[in-house]
Amino acid sequence: MGCYIRRRLLTAIPVFFGITILVFCMLNLAQGSILDLMGEGSGATDADRAALAASLGLDQSLPQRYLAWLGDLLQGDLGTSYANGRPVAYLIAQRVGPSLLLTGTGVVLAVAIALPLGVMAAWKPRSGWDRTASALSLVSFGVPGFFLCLAGIFLFSVTLGWLPANGMYSAGRFTGLGDLIRHLILPAGVVCLSSVGELVKQTRTACLEVMGEDYIRTAWAKGLTDRAVMVRHAFRGALIPVLTTILSHIPHIIGGSVVVEQVFGWPGMGSLLFSGISSRDYAVVMGVTVIIALTVLLTNLLLDLIYGIADPRVRYGKG
Amino acid sequence: MRRLIALLMAAVLALGLTACGGEEETAEQVTVRYGLSNAWDSLMPYNSPSGSNYTRIICDKIYDRLAYVHADGTLDPRGAKSWESTEDGLAVVFHLDEKAAFHDGTPVTAQHWADTIALITNPDCPALGRGTFSVLAGTDSNGCAVEGEQLGAEAVDEHTLKLTFKSPTTPEDFLLDKNRELYVLPTHLLTDTAPAQIMDLDLWDAPVGSGPCKFVEELPGSQLVLEVNQNYQLGSPDFDQLVITVMDKSNLLSSLIAGDLDYYAFGGNVSVEDAETARAAGLEVVEGEVPNTFYELMLNCETIPSAQVRRAIDLALDKEALCLQSTRGLGEPTATDVTPGTEYTCALTWSRDVEGARRLLEQGGYDGQTYTLACTSNRSGLAALMQQELAEVDMNVTIETVDSAALFSGMADGKYDMAIASHTPGALPLWFTESRLSESNNIFHITDLEPYTYYIDQIKAASGWETRQVLLDKLQELLADERPFIPLWFGRTLHVQSPTVDHIDYPSSSFSNENIWAWRMKAA
Repeated sequence: MGCYIRRRLLTAIPVFFGITILVFCMLNLAQGSILDLMGEGSGATDADRAALAASLGLDQSLPQRYLAWLGDLLQGDLGTSYANGRPVAYLIAQRVGPSLLLTGTGVVLAVAIALPLGVMAAWKPRSGWDRTASALSLVSFGVPGFFLCLAGIFLFSVTLGWLPANGMYSAGRFTGLGDLIRHLILPAGVVCLSSVGELVKQTRTACLEVMGEDYIRTAWAKGLTDRAVMVRHAFRGALIPVLTTILSHIPHIIGGSVVVEQVFGWPGMGSLLFSGISSRDYAVVMGVTVIIALTVLLTNLLLDLIYGIADPRVRYGKG
Repeated sequence: MRRLIALLMAAVLALGLTACGGEEETAEQVTVRYGLSNAWDSLMPYNSPSGSNYTRIICDKIYDRLAYVHADGTLDPRGAKSWESTEDGLAVVFHLDEKAAFHDGTPVTAQHWADTIALITNPDCPALGRGTFSVLAGTDSNGCAVEGEQLGAEAVDEHTLKLTFKSPTTPEDFLLDKNRELYVLPTHLLTDTAPAQIMDLDLWDAPVGSGPCKFVEELPGSQLVLEVNQNYQLGSPDFDQLVITVMDKSNLLSSLIAGDLDYYAFGGNVSVEDAETARAAGLEVVEGEVPNTFYELMLNCETIPSAQVRRAIDLALDKEALCLQSTRGLGEPTATDVTPGTEYTCALTWSRDVEGARRLLEQGGYDGQTYTLACTSNRSGLAALMQQELAEVDMNVTIETVDSAALFSGMADGKYDMAIASHTPGALPLWFTESRLSESNNIFHITDLEPYTYYIDQIKAASGWETRQVLLDKLQELLADERPFIPLWFGRTLHVQSPTVDHIDYPSSSFSNENIWAWRMKAA
């Protein structure tokens, strides 16, 4: 197992650097830079632009800039924001918590809804459970996130006045758990609804597949209750694809949801990424990319390890 | 499973709360919630890479300026109580308000203003936007102080500041043009720091200014909490704190309707369609009286070298239809960049002439080349309409939808042949042309700027209104002949009134200042 982890970590290194090179090149080759955003009427002169370019290293060639960024990264420095001069690590540290809270809550809620609903839909095809699962999947897959956000705001904030439409707190800072939860419900609900469809479908399909297996028939034949067959045998057999889907949401939880955070003014990683892109703050975008890339790679490793626990047939060889 | 889910939820909540939690509020504070659709960058006003209105409107709260500029171009005292020109017209004397003080209690003196200008114009100081000061004596064209020359910023006495210019300048011209870029810094806190290190100070993370609000805390790019400065010289509002939150534009009005915002910048601007929604929700919507947007079609004079072809584009466009499509009746088509309603006028008028455009295209040798028109996504409908109108004169245009950084970069690089842009107009005759028709910002790729800069310099040097107006007419005639850009229309806006806060000067918000000291909470 230890050898397997070491090998996986070693193969992750080139993948990680490949991701950073790709994102760095795409960002820097895109039309427009922060220098182009120094608008007319701002008193910015050519000298200002040249000075800013020099201070940010934008006067260097692309490979030089990448190597400089990489050198800093290897020393644990994610760089400094082009826009506000703050360390990128500091900006990310401020945003991880709110993102974790928002997307984490949304995904946990989605899992809590999707697993039982998916199992029930597989257990009782063409029942109310199955139809509910299908309808939920349809909405989740078919309706774009931004529309869900706006529809949620229109219904619950504007029309009914039940929930706040923006922000994390009413008064700009933590004044109580109740206030935070009120602000959390709507955006987390959208995250939940966006994620739940895939989870329900995956759970239902995986359960249906294993229900045709011999060991399930054996379990019925042994006289086990429906509940025991479904939960202890069918669901456990279906766990690997379901786990894959659940764990694939971890980078999403860390990286935040760009659309939801932006619309709701939620101060998370997604809105940080959005403002980084729109202000051509490459340092911030690269910093967030590094975090997301690391999370994806570690999640994949975690998934492989969990497979072994969930399915005893999976063994990690040395070859 | 249930236990696992509960455990997961608890863990997520605990982690999130650990990161977001702060101290619980003890006293009941009256908070005004303020929405902003884009983030500011730096809280150090002379270190903003974007120099955007979003940063300006934030710095306007923390730092003080000399005057308050109304949307109609009139001025009110702010950091300065009054001002006058010297006899030769080369200097303006500002009489500062003696009651002005920094948030740490230190009185604001003329020396602070003079030291601020000396610091920012110091070539060693990595300030951005110091081109603002290039009008002052003793500076070069970049706004850097010239060694051996007397800088045109002097503290005559404790509360009298004298600014000396390179050419005669009236206080009104100076303030209308530069006031929004000129803030006083707490230079008494900077004495031990070398100019080169100024931007590295922690002070700018928790700035001390002398504006109507004090800094409390910031979540960079997302939220800013400010406390009302009870000692501000112009008074203070009757609330305690201002919480500024960045959120998507699409959520500003709905948050106001839902009661989650008290106001949003700039001036509660709302489109005609959304105004109906606001009215239906019981909010009052008022029509702005002063133009606050100017639309232009930028042209690339290098890829469209013939002035006849450029004039043909002007004649081919139905500005009335374009204006209607964009403003829904809240705009006036124009043939000039001179802002209507100001003391300067322009007699040029516009008309659509498809046949005339065809003739000009023939004379200009247009060979059926396809031009690229760049626009931002919210203007793609407008671009499509332009494309149709130009097709009527057999001009081929393809549309490229990009973001504003790519648009301006693409125009500067010569990638695009034309682009749609909008600006906040000014009351000065050269508000648009001076910055656009210059060597440092030749975005229209004009081969010979001299004919334009000749008139621009003449207008700047002219003292009386009459002389200026005559010169301005000549500049406008030249622009009409050469057409390096096509003025489209001046638009007004609709302002949604705050349901909770009174006395907001909505129109002036577009000009990067807000009279927050006068705001009052409405009776519940």
